[in-house]
Amino acid sequence: MSATTRRMRFHWSLPSTGVADARKGSHPRAEIDPVGDLDRQREFCQHAEELGIDALLLPIGFQRADPTVLATAYGLATSRIKFMTASRPAVISPTHFVQQVNTVSAFTNGRVEINVVSGQGSQELRYYGDFSTHDERYQRTDEFWTICHALWRREFPVNYQGKFISVEGARVNQRYVGPDSHRPYVYIGGSSDTARELAIKHADCLLRLAEPPDELAPKIEPALAAGIEVGIIVNQISAPTHDEAVALAQWLADNAGERGKATQAEWRAATADSVGFSSIYRMAEDRAHWLTPYLWTGLVPYMGPPSISLVGSVEEIEEAIFEYRRIGVTQFLFQARQDSSTLDLFGSTILPRIRRREEREPLVLAGASEGS
Amino acid sequence: MQATTKPLRFLWSLSSVGDKLRRTRSMTAMSGLPPMAEHVDFCRQAEHCGIDALLMAFGFTRPDPVAYSVALGARTQKIRFLVAVRSGICAPTYFVQQINTLSALTDGRVCINIVVGRAPDELRYYGDFLTHDERYERTDEFWRICHELWRGEGPVTFTGRHYRVEDARVNTPFVSDTATRPQIYLGGASAQASELATRHADCWLTFPDTPERLAPKIRPMLDSGKEVGLLVTLISRPSRADAIAAAHALVADAGEQARAVHGTNHGRSDSVGYAAAYERAAHEPSWPTPYLWTGAVPYLGPPGISLVGSPEDIVGAIAEYQSIGISQFLFMGHPDLEQMTFFGKEILPLVREREQAEVAS
Repeated sequence: MSATTRRMRFHWSLPSTGVADARKGSHPRAEIDPVGDLDRQREFCQHAEELGIDALLLPIGFQRADPTVLATAYGLATSRIKFMTASRPAVISPTHFVQQVNTVSAFTNGRVEINVVSGQGSQELRYYGDFSTHDERYQRTDEFWTICHALWRREFPVNYQGKFISVEGARVNQRYVGPDSHRPYVYIGGSSDTARELAIKHADCLLRLAEPPDELAPKIEPALAAGIEVGIIVNQISAPTHDEAVALAQWLADNAGERGKATQAEWRAATADSVGFSSIYRMAEDRAHWLTPYLWTGLVPYMGPPSISLVGSVEEIEEAIFEYRRIGVTQFLFQARQDSSTLDLFGSTILPRIRRREEREPLVLAGASEGS
Repeated sequence: MQATTKPLRFLWSLSSVGDKLRRTRSMTAMSGLPPMAEHVDFCRQAEHCGIDALLMAFGFTRPDPVAYSVALGARTQKIRFLVAVRSGICAPTYFVQQINTLSALTDGRVCINIVVGRAPDELRYYGDFLTHDERYERTDEFWRICHELWRGEGPVTFTGRHYRVEDARVNTPFVSDTATRPQIYLGGASAQASELATRHADCWLTFPDTPERLAPKIRPMLDSGKEVGLLVTLISRPSRADAIAAAHALVADAGEQARAVHGTNHGRSDSVGYAAAYERAAHEPSWPTPYLWTGAVPYLGPPGISLVGSPEDIVGAIAEYQSIGISQFLFMGHPDLEQMTFFGKEILPLVREREQAEVAS
């Protein structure tokens, strides 16, 4: 049994548009033009690559451009960074999905990863013809990924008869092209027990919204015990000093204004069946905004659950990240209000400190076993 | 004589470029890996040759045409991508979102080829278990939703037998200087296919027959304001004798294995157009007109129906088809690059000259 070390991985959510948008999340989503500035988005990808970000999340949603199509374009414009494309199983046949992902892999030498989302709000899912309930969605996701994994293992012909999806004799000639794997790395996000079980069954990493480490630890324990990684999704508000970071955080909340609150009230109603979203909304209401010295819910009423934030100086953000590492979190998916300046500070100052500290204090895995 | 004001448009199939043994091997033996560099060269040459769009076919043996068009679009300037799509493999709202994203990345250089699917066993690979008639019904519903989304007159609600959406919207617009949606092509010989083309497409694609037999078949389509295009193999050489020799060499190369593969493909298909073409090829003379040849059909399938001849013969054939109302040609060649280059150099200039002369008169 050999001991291996694991480096943490740091990801960033690609802003849909308006890269410097301080009010992200407070706009009505129907007003966003997702292809208004593709050049700027491409430059953001290239810049993130230079700064050592591991992967960029391309989210999925009606207000967004299609993540798989964008991953192809931005993959061709970069050489190292990976693209974590969000995927909803209800919108596409699993066979077609594997074919698309394999095609993207061929153009990017395997720089495509999948973020499986089952969807936060049933209202938007109906735009796409998906009228299923929360539990049905997870069951369909399970069927979808059972088929995808069989196709990636090339167990042709793949036959599967499920409640939601059936295929007969399925095969996809084009292989997944990558330096070290026959399939893309898979993330499954969600805070419900069902999401966690699904991640253990089909994914390499469970993604959850941030919570205080001591509250998160017991919830992720089963996933870690099953041998998959855990990542957290969190907004980052960092600055050279603690006071500057707190002032920036406060400014972001003040600047969001009442319009953001109205948008959030609507979104909260629309996403009521998401376990993760509901719990963060409640946390922001029922508890003091500073859940820990660095974890802050002050933006949530204006910008929603993904705006739960790590706030602090360069040293504090680094310390926070290592606190999460102590409970087993090894991946971080950041977003920021004013992405560019935060990304710059993180990439040029915080990340190099983290990498040096990882050298000094490596995370040692005893007899590492990888996920499915 | 039909008065045609639109210039003829010429398209080429990219899908088999670089695959010398196309349609002669068992489909599961193909790698599906796109020969990227070769295809980029082909796209650039197509731009140079005056080709309007390249067909990106769909099937389990191939790369995904949408993702592939993004990659080729990033390396080209003018050429458009005719992306094949089947209903039944993704949600219409999601499809519109993907196509609109592709349009934004290529300045609108995308058009769509609607395929209903002709081999039920392959459709089941994708989870599609419907019959021929049900597929047409579903395709109709799919395109009603797509067109409504592209019209952009507010949230789309639709309840059909196969699809249901509620308040659907997509923020990503179709990006183009000239259109709010992609140009749409549809192929298929059955009554349902014509009906579907009339409702949803801009151009109906069909296999060639003699102009006399084709004219009454395409009349209703032309009357409903649609264009009609021919899906045809081009075998042209400097002289007619060379062209005929090339045609025969093609069949000899394909050989008996190809014949066996096509026996199998014929049996798998429930397509009306394919069945008719196989029948005609089996029971009628292989030269229905001096330029139209069906001799390759047993080896290459119905897409092997060919226009054969010298540049002058081909210009004449195109003019004959134009006179019955055909305005687009989707070519395949053997090999594609050489044949397309020959077309661009030796045939297309003559076609354009003749068009100019007719406009002048």
